[in-house]
Amino acid sequence: MSAFDKYLHAVIVRAMDEAQDDGSATIDAHHLLLSLAADQGSTAQQVLTSAGLDRATVREALDREFEHSLSMVGVSPAAYGLPGPSHASQQPKMGASARLALERSFACARKKDLRSAHLLLGILQAQFGTVPRALALAGIDQAELEDHVRQTLTSQE
Amino acid sequence: MSVGENSLPPEPADALAAVVALRRLADQLEDAAVEQAMRAGWSWPQVSEALGVTRQAVHKKHAKRLIAAGVKLRRRGDERV
Repeated sequence: MSAFDKYLHAVIVRAMDEAQDDGSATIDAHHLLLSLAADQGSTAQQVLTSAGLDRATVREALDREFEHSLSMVGVSPAAYGLPGPSHASQQPKMGASARLALERSFACARKKDLRSAHLLLGILQAQFGTVPRALALAGIDQAELEDHVRQTLTSQE
Repeated sequence: MSVGENSLPPEPADALAAVVALRRLADQLEDAAVEQAMRAGWSWPQVSEALGVTRQAVHKKHAKRLIAAGVKLRRRGDERV
């Protein structure tokens, strides 16, 4: 197992925990983002931090996106006063958005050259979905952040 | 609430994101509602009939979680006649 394989495994395991805490049956791209943001010391985490994104701010942005999207059809989650999501009992499976993010990451570089920043790049390449919407609501310029990641990767080579 | 033509968000991205968010909200509501029913002594067949899904599906989705949450589940033999 290469260092990157180990790193990837740790990222996915953490993303799975995030999905489970979310009560989600699938690991989604935003769970991968939460996982990267929580990963102390990686390049991906450093780039996110420089944009003002740590795990807590990503979580906050995701919660806002949820409420915002519901409000689009006149629904307020607060109106239900639901208890927080209960821990999903089944192990979350890899969802379509996370799969797509990983495929994009792996397409960025040869296997031996893959880094944490490629994972972030794969997530940031999404045009639609929860991640772009949450980032926009948090006032993050996604294209600029993507450029920043690319620069980091070029300077590492 | 009705999602008629009038209330469909004008932006497709907003409308599609609302679908995603509503599914998540429905899942949360299902978790809370099934727990509430089981705490009130409902049986799996009753809950599954009320939800319109199979007993196996409800059990598979919720049993472990409810046991972990300390909910006393009715067993088959406890069914009242």
